Amino acid sequence: MKHVLHVHGMHCKACVLVIESELRENPKISSAHASLKGHSVEIQGEFGDMPLESIARELSRILLKHGYSLEVVRQIRGKKWGDFKVAVPAAIGFLAAFVLLQKAGIVNLVNAGTVTYGTAFLIGIIASLSTCMAVVGGLVLSMSATFAKEGDRVRPQILFHGGRLVSFFVLGGVIGAIGGAFTLNATAIFVLNLLIGAVMLVLGINLLDVFHFAKRFQLTTPKFISRHALGVSKLNHTLTPLLVGIATFFLPCGFTQSMQLYALATGGFSSGALTMLAFAVGTLPVLALISFSSFSIRNGVKAGIFFKTAGLVVMAFAAFNLINGFVVIGLIPPVFDF
Amino acid sequence: MKSTVISIAITVIMIGGVFMLVRSGSEQSGVLPADNVTVADGRQIVELRAKGGYLPEMSVAKAGMPTILRLETSGTFDCSSSVRIRGMDVSRSLPPSGTTDIDLGSPEPGTLRGSCGMGMYPFEIVFEK
Repeated sequence: MKHVLHVHGMHCKACVLVIESELRENPKISSAHASLKGHSVEIQGEFGDMPLESIARELSRILLKHGYSLEVVRQIRGKKWGDFKVAVPAAIGFLAAFVLLQKAGIVNLVNAGTVTYGTAFLIGIIASLSTCMAVVGGLVLSMSATFAKEGDRVRPQILFHGGRLVSFFVLGGVIGAIGGAFTLNATAIFVLNLLIGAVMLVLGINLLDVFHFAKRFQLTTPKFISRHALGVSKLNHTLTPLLVGIATFFLPCGFTQSMQLYALATGGFSSGALTMLAFAVGTLPVLALISFSSFSIRNGVKAGIFFKTAGLVVMAFAAFNLINGFVVIGLIPPVFDF
Repeated sequence: MKSTVISIAITVIMIGGVFMLVRSGSEQSGVLPADNVTVADGRQIVELRAKGGYLPEMSVAKAGMPTILRLETSGTFDCSSSVRIRGMDVSRSLPPSGTTDIDLGSPEPGTLRGSCGMGMYPFEIVFEK
């Protein structure tokens, strides 16, 4: 017997694999084919004369731990334009606070001529509130909100922040020991800016949950890779945040780069490592706050508003990064001036 | 809702705390003398203060004269510590504190535009005949 059931809570390519592999383990099912496009799963198996509703209920129990449920009726995917009534002012408020902070001269608060671990920590706090927030914070927000939307709240965040702290410690030590920095030239920074801007723009659009066409470009590992990986969807949710966390060491942020130059001048593994670690720990409170803002959101009425606000903020940061990238290579005259 | 309020409160306290903590240090005035362009021994020196942007943002200098761009830093860790000048292929990292001289050669009349490495702090020097 062939049945088609509608899947509620399906977002990603990896969901297809999780649903299929879970369902196939059920002895009653001989084959299962999930479709992301139709948000449905086609199953074949022996259910006797069970009504479709009971089948859906029984199989939902297997999938519930992953955050999916099977229903007979199609989920009404309301775009909830009403959410924007709150999301737009909230996003504007957040961005206004961000601009105000820059105008108030937050970066001028650093007065230290010499760097101790304490000042490195303090500089970290200031860096996390500076325009670097548009790069690193924007990336954190887009990533954590995207993972939260897929139902994975805690682990990706911990992996990201853990990866960031460890990479700052290790790479800081390396540049201190070898006495050479990983400075990027103008072209590399431009390419990075472009890449980060593009990724953030796509994630931001996805978070708005209005244009479904952008789903195709989601931050996922291709299906043919994840199919061969052991933990099906685990790869995407483990490796991505970890790698992004490590990569933040190289992201274009003035503070990170001058701290690296300082760490390089310290001329030793431990002093370089500890300086960069102190800096990264300084950036942690604000970044953690950003990433765990999506942590508190449960699938309630507020979730839609939160994801739309996050999407708008992420898109604004993406535009900021892209425009600045074009300014640096001289393609357009300076736009922002803080 | 409760956690939202708590998060906002923590943010405000943290930002306020940083301002309080560091404000207690001496607040330097961000004003440079109006004539930041000086000529000595046939060389023209354009002085800029680099911290949270470049001051003054616009300078006027003479064209066709050996020119040095002197950048002063004091506790500069932000973007302004990495200077880029378009069209001249200048890309320098400044020390947190000190002065850095960049040789601009003898510029043609026109406007030289520079910015920090990430592009949000611009400055320009107008070279006049």
